[in-house]
Amino acid sequence: METGRAMSVALALRGIRKTFPGVVAVDGVDLDVRRGEIHALVGENGAGKSTLARIAFGELHADAGSVEAHGTVGLVHQHFELVGRLRVWQNVLLGREPRTGWRIDTRAARARVTHLAQRNGLSIDPDALVEDLPVGMRQRVELLRELERDPAVLLLDEPTAALAPGEIDAFFATIEQLAHNGTAVLVVTHKLNEVMEHAQRVTVMRHGKIVEQTQIARTSAREIAQAMVGGELPAIAQRAATVLAPCLSIRDLRTAGAAGLRGVDLDVRRGEIVGIAGVEGNGQSALADAIAGMITHAGTVAFASPHTTVGIVPQDRAREALVLGWSLVENVAFSRFQNARMHAGPFVNFANARTDAQTIAQRFDVRAATLDVPVATLSGGNQQKIVVGRALVDHPEFLLAYNPTRGIDVGAAALVQSRLVQARNDGAAILLISFELDEILALADRVLVLFNGSIAGAFDGASADRGELGRLMAGGA
Amino acid sequence: MKSLMDRARGARGALGALAIALVLITAAMLVAGASPIDGFAALFAGALGGTHQLGETLVQATALLFPALGIALAFRAGLFNIGAEGQLLVGGLAAGALGANVHLAPALAAVIMLGGGALAGGVWGGIAGWLKARFGANEIIATLMLNFIAASLTGYLVAGPLKSSPAGGPETAPLAHAYWLPVLLPYTRLSIALLIALAIAALLHVVLTRTVFGYELRAIGEAPEAARRAGISLQRMALLALASSGAIAGLGGASIVAGELHRFNTQLSPGYGYTAIAVALVGDLDARWICVAAFAFGILETGGLAMQAVANIPKDAIHVIEGVIVVLLAARRYVAARAAIAS
Amino acid sequence: MTLALLVTLLTLTVLKATPIIFAALGGTISERSGVVNIGLEGMMAAGAFGAVYATSATGNPVVGVIAGILAGAFFGFVLGVAATRLKVDQIVAGTGINLLCIGGAAYALVVLFHQQGSSPQVASLGTADVWLIVLAFALAIALHAFLWLTPWGLRLRAIGENPRAVLAAGIDPLRVRMLAVTISGALAGLGGAFLSVGELNIYSDGMTAGRGFIALAAVIFGRWTPLGATLAALCFGFFEALQFILQGRVAWLPSDAMQALPYVAAVIALAGATGRVRAPESDGVPF
Repeated sequence: METGRAMSVALALRGIRKTFPGVVAVDGVDLDVRRGEIHALVGENGAGKSTLARIAFGELHADAGSVEAHGTVGLVHQHFELVGRLRVWQNVLLGREPRTGWRIDTRAARARVTHLAQRNGLSIDPDALVEDLPVGMRQRVELLRELERDPAVLLLDEPTAALAPGEIDAFFATIEQLAHNGTAVLVVTHKLNEVMEHAQRVTVMRHGKIVEQTQIARTSAREIAQAMVGGELPAIAQRAATVLAPCLSIRDLRTAGAAGLRGVDLDVRRGEIVGIAGVEGNGQSALADAIAGMITHAGTVAFASPHTTVGIVPQDRAREALVLGWSLVENVAFSRFQNARMHAGPFVNFANARTDAQTIAQRFDVRAATLDVPVATLSGGNQQKIVVGRALVDHPEFLLAYNPTRGIDVGAAALVQSRLVQARNDGAAILLISFELDEILALADRVLVLFNGSIAGAFDGASADRGELGRLMAGGA
Repeated sequence: MKSLMDRARGARGALGALAIALVLITAAMLVAGASPIDGFAALFAGALGGTHQLGETLVQATALLFPALGIALAFRAGLFNIGAEGQLLVGGLAAGALGANVHLAPALAAVIMLGGGALAGGVWGGIAGWLKARFGANEIIATLMLNFIAASLTGYLVAGPLKSSPAGGPETAPLAHAYWLPVLLPYTRLSIALLIALAIAALLHVVLTRTVFGYELRAIGEAPEAARRAGISLQRMALLALASSGAIAGLGGASIVAGELHRFNTQLSPGYGYTAIAVALVGDLDARWICVAAFAFGILETGGLAMQAVANIPKDAIHVIEGVIVVLLAARRYVAARAAIAS
Repeated sequence: MTLALLVTLLTLTVLKATPIIFAALGGTISERSGVVNIGLEGMMAAGAFGAVYATSATGNPVVGVIAGILAGAFFGFVLGVAATRLKVDQIVAGTGINLLCIGGAAYALVVLFHQQGSSPQVASLGTADVWLIVLAFALAIALHAFLWLTPWGLRLRAIGENPRAVLAAGIDPLRVRMLAVTISGALAGLGGAFLSVGELNIYSDGMTAGRGFIALAAVIFGRWTPLGATLAALCFGFFEALQFILQGRVAWLPSDAMQALPYVAAVIALAGATGRVRAPESDGVPF
């Protein structure tokens, strides 16, 4: 009854529309994913691609439109939805446990998971506790859980965000094998090199709408990027010549824990950006926390002078940096109470806080109705601008920036990056920890690779080789 | 602009709770077969119908206001202090024991009694704070357990070491008349404790909205990890918050002794510390609205007795209504939080 | 200490621990599903009163126990709806339920029995309460097996850790949570019924005396496991029994101060247990 071409469509989305309070996340989208293809869905943060994937999976309900899937749909989340304190087999088989009588047949369960893993070329210990596994392995568990249900359509939301370059190739080898066997694969991503290399078709979303849909063979990474941002990519401020002077010196830094540091030496000088490249979970959080004084450590973290001023951009703006229910003015005051400008005796100096908030809002183009609305009502990009702006407002001699552009749109990211470069040009010492290799390469004067709690290599920013960095990030000697 | 919004929200909360209460009371009256008009007439006449009634209503409101303010302070720091009852008791005991045993100028004696009560309540709350800070012990269970311990301890002390006379009941010796807190409204039991409570409310409001300490306190409640990274010690703040919360409740206990009972006995509180949780929540944890809520609850507590006589509704119905209000308010707070984020 | 005294002490320990065991098992299952049940105390009171009222109406304490279970389950269901569908603050809602149940029982005493403070005496289970004691221990073992051996136990634990993880498996975490809190209320109600028509034959205001909160401490001290919570409840029961034994027997120990013993034990256990163990990851977090 159906033509051969129509039969090959495994997932058909028609006229999908979804609004959240105040925003239209997805605005009338049609999308087909065919059996045997790897289809890339790209777009900026906030373009609506993750929302679309969750609608296709059935996790969210569309306000309008239809989802038609021929067979099961599986979704590998960007932030894995696993139970850390359960074992691998328990996570994979949750809801589908084999039984003997009223009990779970644990032997059969292990065998099933081992077999499933082998068939897909993903070796794993079914008895390992998920919370003990490295990020790459956890993704494997999440993938196995979806494969257990033998999906006709597999949705992957930013699947390589936490993988090292070498792991990425292995991951796509598995995915290509699945596609070869007839699975329809939709990859939600913002990494265009992976799209060009592994996908057959690409759909570009912007502001909730599809702006381009084409065969990979007929387009280029540059064209896709322009479609994503709707024009030319914003430029980042140029690095100027600076006078280097010692600022932060770290020697033999060690911290406890599986993702701790195992003897790190590094120096950051005023007038330079030192980039820490590495895959998530290799000690970045321990490094940031040790410098911020949040955890105990062995070894020394020494500034050039005891009076060195420090600014910090923590990784998680919503949890670690802001009080979401408070206004911009209150947030600007809150983390800087040690600063004499922020208090008058026991009272908060709201006048000075407001002045500083105005400065930040102007310099960072924070789009808020007033300085008094709760920051919870602002977009992620605007929140992040506040966090970075607050860290820079006192012109610190040292700045620690941990994933300063994570999860924000390209325009906001370019602005934040430009302000970091300007701070460097003005003589600040900046330690940039980022999981995005592109960001490191664009901003850093020197690049250090952090692997398994140690510095695995050091490069000059201008001459750093992507392939070599990727090899070291994955643990290559 | 923001304060205006806040005010509207607080007003909605208090008025909404009051409306729910009125509906429930009406329902209770109908169930009991009484005329709601007669019932309400009795309730309001009993609570506000004359100087004596108004005075008694304000006495009840004052007794609720102290612990409610203390509870609000702790709640704003994210700490659920349900130990106000015990903190009232130890505060009252300290005041009673000091008042019966010191011989000073009356004004000084009053200060010593009230200060001693606040200190005792602060220590009692501080124990839970210390357990929280030092061991991470759940403050809800700890403060509640400390209520029972306070009841046993004060019961033991007034039955033994602090007993007024070998032949007397379980209470401390009566205070010298000169030590009584001055009466505010002639021919009633209302003392200047009301003014002290209102002053504490004003102070709390200023501290929470204007001072660094207040901001730090609210920060650990709303965003503990951000607060920690801003250099605020969660442990220190938990200890300070629960100790000051207990001190305010303890001051309340002392003011009941110095202004109303004029001695300590174990019947000091008919559950003010628990009702005050409802008062604090109805007042949206905002000192200004807590004053209003305390007055409304004072009307219910005082008028409830009159209503019992006229409309044949047990006074305990009031406590059922309080419980329903708190459950409904929990839902309202959620809705308000959602609305704030969505707008 | 004579042998007879020791036997009395142990018997009393089991007797005093039983209502706490029921409530603590309820607290365990609720918290394992991700809902902190601060309302255990009120649900116990509701169970205790419900049992007395049904016993007085029917003359049969077994009917009373069933009514107590239902009364507790009802308020468990109320908290369940509040904590899942309405996504309210669980602590605030639980506190409201405590005020509601304890105040409600006082109100109902007046309305139904025309008495203040306590109910008239009703028929009690008498020596048949031993079956409830047996039931408490059997339930502890059964619940332990349920949580660690069965598919639904695994799912319940997964929901308490990360409710989103079970969505993929096609399970509605909210329904499971609602059911768990309702069962939790039923168990607390059973504990309350044991207090009123098992151990005694009346309901009186304040008779639960913080046992719901002691049960919460037992949940933590027992590391969120049914058998652990049962052991912890026995430990608190022991101190309650000890207080009874010592009262009057040891002249220089003031009985008023001795009443604090089980509560002091609970506070110390709470402080000692915390930090060594982790609560379920999503315990108390609305989904």
